[in-house]
Amino acid sequence: MTFTSWQFGIFVGIIFGAYYLPRFRTFQIQLLVIASLFFYGYGQPELLPLLAIAVLGTYLFLILALRNRTIWLPIGIVFNLMLLACFKYKFLFIESSSPDLTGVAPINFLLKLPLPIGISFFVFHNISLLVDLTRRKATPPDLTRVFLYIIFFPQLVSGPITRAEMFMPQIKPKYFSDVPFVEAARWILTGFFFKVYVANNLNEMTSYMDFPLYETLQTQDRWLLVFLYSYQIYADFFGYSAIAIGLALLFGYRLPVNFNLPYTSASFSEFWTRWHISLSSWLRTYLYVPLGGNRRGELRTYLNLMIVMGLGGLWHGAGLSYLMWGLMHGLLLVIERPFLERLTSIDSAVFRATRISFIFVCVSILWIFFKLPNFDHAVSYLSGMFTPSTNPNPPKLFYNLALLYSLPVMIQHFAFRSFFERKLYNLEPYLYGAMAALMYLEAGPETSFIYFQF
Amino acid sequence: MRPMSAVRWLVKCGLSAVVLLLACGLATAWFGNGLQLPSTTTRDGTLITLNRYAKEPIPDVVLVGSSLTFRLKEEYFATPMVRNLALAGGSPVTGLEIVANQPRLPRIILVEANILSRPADTALVERYSTRGNNAEPLFFRPIRTAIAAYENWHHAPLCHAQASLALRQLLERPPSNFDNRVYADRALQQLNAEDPTIAAKLNARRIAQLVLALEQRGARVLLFELPYSEQIEGSRSAEVTREIVRAAIPDQNGWLHIDSTRSELRWADGVHLDERSAVIVAQSIDRALSPLLGHGNGLKEQIGQLPE
Repeated sequence: MTFTSWQFGIFVGIIFGAYYLPRFRTFQIQLLVIASLFFYGYGQPELLPLLAIAVLGTYLFLILALRNRTIWLPIGIVFNLMLLACFKYKFLFIESSSPDLTGVAPINFLLKLPLPIGISFFVFHNISLLVDLTRRKATPPDLTRVFLYIIFFPQLVSGPITRAEMFMPQIKPKYFSDVPFVEAARWILTGFFFKVYVANNLNEMTSYMDFPLYETLQTQDRWLLVFLYSYQIYADFFGYSAIAIGLALLFGYRLPVNFNLPYTSASFSEFWTRWHISLSSWLRTYLYVPLGGNRRGELRTYLNLMIVMGLGGLWHGAGLSYLMWGLMHGLLLVIERPFLERLTSIDSAVFRATRISFIFVCVSILWIFFKLPNFDHAVSYLSGMFTPSTNPNPPKLFYNLALLYSLPVMIQHFAFRSFFERKLYNLEPYLYGAMAALMYLEAGPETSFIYFQF
Repeated sequence: MRPMSAVRWLVKCGLSAVVLLLACGLATAWFGNGLQLPSTTTRDGTLITLNRYAKEPIPDVVLVGSSLTFRLKEEYFATPMVRNLALAGGSPVTGLEIVANQPRLPRIILVEANILSRPADTALVERYSTRGNNAEPLFFRPIRTAIAAYENWHHAPLCHAQASLALRQLLERPPSNFDNRVYADRALQQLNAEDPTIAAKLNARRIAQLVLALEQRGARVLLFELPYSEQIEGSRSAEVTREIVRAAIPDQNGWLHIDSTRSELRWADGVHLDERSAVIVAQSIDRALSPLLGHGNGLKEQIGQLPE
């Protein structure tokens, strides 16, 4: 069940209606857990036991780690990483097409299970739960609350990755009168608009980036499509995160903001404080800092950055392209680090605009490794961007359509926010209404969220 | 600034959405959906052509086929009233089924017989099955309509007469010397790897049934093979398909013979004709169609004016 399906609309309507009924107030947590299990099982019922094992196992290790953190915390983390490795990275070590993978039927069955949707996200939730609660020696939460934290449906499939210490204190009775309807509506409408109007329409154009279609493109169109994909992946993931935040607000929970105008970043380190913030802060808290962060000298800092970004790349998928994407970002962070202070000290609007453009171009080029997970295809696309095309019959792309579908991302990033907030304050509901109408009228063909595959 | 109450905010938001939807609905009811929206994919382009076929007067000649025939643009033909319903990535059977399901038929239906390995698109056939009965959207797409209006104003579709100068210049140029070896080798590899036997037999049988039914209703149905390069001509897929379709429709009178000089033709990606070659092949089809349509010397002269 995807956020953009009508089934999901009915599902949310029913759960929301029941959630605030006085007779259900004492069962709000249970209701959300059941709803989340239904939401997850609707698409992959055969993987519900796995989700249950992940949560129950984590809960068991949490109870044990609260008694003896030194022994049980690492085991709990390894348990979760093994789950991730088992499903996401298994085919790095075994031949997927082989009918008999191990010779043992039950293990074959497990290995043949499809990749559970959202496993990368709920495994990170599990680790956060183990680390956060054992660090402050909290009293063991009850199992239902743990279930809710890990499988809360708005964030289950693609985040935002919420830290336990942020989410757990929010679990308490909720009242209809406390629901911030306008704020929720703003997030949900913006999210759907970015997904349905921007991302889905741009996806039609960026499908020309797929192999072998990209071979027919003109050089300038390869560049254009890279930038369009940059807008598309932002609109797609920002859209998902915004819908998740809005939905969570309807049920009384505040999830972390996942994006903060990433394409206005003037450095790579700034980009990673603005893009997929919940993942980068998770990696910083649970990987970069434990590795020593920047406390052990320059060389160790550079190594830590490369390790974190490399693993961050692999978190997205078991492939050379994802690893390269992460390592390239790591390398760019390492390269810019010694110059960052000097660059930041130059107070010039033109210079800052140049830096923003440079970062945008680099980040966009690296998205090619996301769009084309086959490394050879990605390199081939990239090299074609720097050689003149010879195809006498290139496909025609409508530049004006590309501009109009990208415009919301550009306006969001570069329009003067204070102007919108002050001058257009009274027009705001009309603007959101227009967005709602436009996303219905001008919806692009349905496509799944890009981050579902991770 | 006084904060707006949630109810007021939501009502204003809802009302403005409804007003905009109503405006688009009224505009659709008033002006219709006639404007050709620009296509962002070849599939879009196909739907535009099918929409036109369903709405406009029945043409004299209709072509159905795959992406090979899709390259033969309508303005390349000197024969008036030609409509190309070929589907990029699709099967000729889909187009033929759609044409057969219309109450009125064109005089001549040309069916490409090169690619028969794909099944018919039943959803598309169903959607365009009955003339005038295809579901019209309630609302037009404002952004695409605006772009369509601009594109139609700025780059209006050309008829043959308007395009003839450009076509003449194109034909006066020598054939392209684009080195397509990489693409041709890859295409050959793919065509040798695939075995179209089962699908081609099913499709050939269905085409034979439809030919019979259409001819009983008064239309003339002719199959044709677009020229391949010699290399692709000898591929397993091409040979198997040809054998099957020739066995299904053995009568030579059921075929349109395209006589174009192969040395003049080029296949940019190994399989599809490039623009100049597509014009040459369209001219050959024009010549072959002329006696069937009973056109006098006017059309022959018109075709003859273009250098081959």
